[in-house]
Amino acid sequence: MNQAGTSQAELLYEAQQRKVRQFRNNVVITWIVLLGLLIFLFSGPIQIDTDFIRRNTLFIASGIGETLNISVLSIVLAIILALLAALGRLSTIPPVYAVSTFYVSLIRGTPLFLQIFFFFLALPQLGIVLPGLIAGVLALGLNYGAYMSETFRAGIASVSKGQREAAIAIGMTPTQTMRRIVLPQALRFAIPPMGNDFISMTKDSALVSATGFVHDVMWRATRVGRAEFNSLEALIIAAVFYWMMTLILTTFQNRMEARLARGDR
Amino acid sequence: MREGIAKMTPIVKISNLDKYFGRLHVLKDISLDVKEREVVCLIGRSGSGKSTLLRCINFLEEPSSGIIEVDGVKVDGGEKGKAHRGLVHNIRLKTGMVFQEFNLFPHMSVLENVIEGPVIVKGMDKDKAISLAEENLDSVGMLFKKDEYPLRLSGGQKQRVAIARALTMQPKVMLFDEPTSALDPELIGEVLNVMKKVAKDGMTMLVVTHEMGFAREVADRVLVMGDGEIIEDAKPKTLFTRPKDPRTKALIDRYRSGEN
Repeated sequence: MNQAGTSQAELLYEAQQRKVRQFRNNVVITWIVLLGLLIFLFSGPIQIDTDFIRRNTLFIASGIGETLNISVLSIVLAIILALLAALGRLSTIPPVYAVSTFYVSLIRGTPLFLQIFFFFLALPQLGIVLPGLIAGVLALGLNYGAYMSETFRAGIASVSKGQREAAIAIGMTPTQTMRRIVLPQALRFAIPPMGNDFISMTKDSALVSATGFVHDVMWRATRVGRAEFNSLEALIIAAVFYWMMTLILTTFQNRMEARLARGDR
Repeated sequence: MREGIAKMTPIVKISNLDKYFGRLHVLKDISLDVKEREVVCLIGRSGSGKSTLLRCINFLEEPSSGIIEVDGVKVDGGEKGKAHRGLVHNIRLKTGMVFQEFNLFPHMSVLENVIEGPVIVKGMDKDKAISLAEENLDSVGMLFKKDEYPLRLSGGQKQRVAIARALTMQPKVMLFDEPTSALDPELIGEVLNVMKKVAKDGMTMLVVTHEMGFAREVADRVLVMGDGEIIEDAKPKTLFTRPKDPRTKALIDRYRSGEN
């Protein structure tokens, strides 16, 4: 016999909720255990130089600004290029279509690492010497732009034909239709993947440090690590910072996605 | 109430319209005049070409050949170039269209949907557009939802907003492409009522529909399409009591049997 006011459905619902909670708790506990294990490993069995860590954490941390700086500038450039490439890909003018597909094919067909070195090492040979940050931003922006153009293209394709027809029927020109009706809807579709790209960018920006001209987290870690033969400690510090940045950015992104989903109309 | 129609000159004039989709001949040498304030319903089986005919009038489908004339703007089908695009644009300004799938802009509120055309396309002053939009939203009974987004509306409400959006462009002719076909049965009535009101206000209307009741009650003329041709063109009373073509008879019989 049920208690007063508690239906079968409510009981089932509660059992289900209990299961969900239990699963979540177990996941959190396992995470904590794994993290504890990692900390234990480096505090006992593996000897690490805590004095080095104390002396150099601040030096490495002061590269966070540069890492974020290069990531933000690169993603802005990437978004602009991706939008142009996506529109070019939809163009009916052969040269425009060709330029867009050529760009995407070339960039996606070569390693990011090579592209970065191209801007730092190959261009100076031609007499073009770019400041470290600019060269890094150009390389990362061009690379991510090529990949993100696919995201934008999918976004534009996700807007139904009926939307365009409604715009055309009220007399909008193709440009007005694209700018006022198609792109706003396509961008909304593209925001979550763009967030992912930005998070990847903060990590891929570490590649730029290999050139030695950008003093980001990675550059600082390798520098002090090599100088004192403490790369283990230096890389652990850098890893912690990258991981924290990723966690914070992911939280932001999840929140933004939740809000977008709510306002999705 | 609608006498005097016969005296007026046609506001829509279609001459020798042909339309091919690839090798498929979907409209065959169609000629049709619609007079000002006339309400014309197009009925026919699916695939008979009635929607394509409607969509050729505002060039959502480019006619393969033939001439479309709306309120004095005359366009040759099958032409290209800047002058042609300019004429097509003028025709679109003279025609409002209502779609089966509503096609409201989901990223804009109801009011923004309705003022978008007048402000962006016609360059109308925003305050003026808003007051005009509110007037039309009121007449379709949707003013109370003006700040909502389309996702929050029922199908019938969406379609009424879509009608207000088309009316706010102040067209000479309204084209309805199966406006109630995507609606749940209980929502069809509210849309048909709004359409009756638009007809009563004197709008020239071309309506592609399966709603025989609406055609019989509101239309001045009913065109029956079959295999890309207009197979019958008559007053609803004549058509529903003495259909000439067997295909028309089949359509009407099916409607009658659904009625009971």
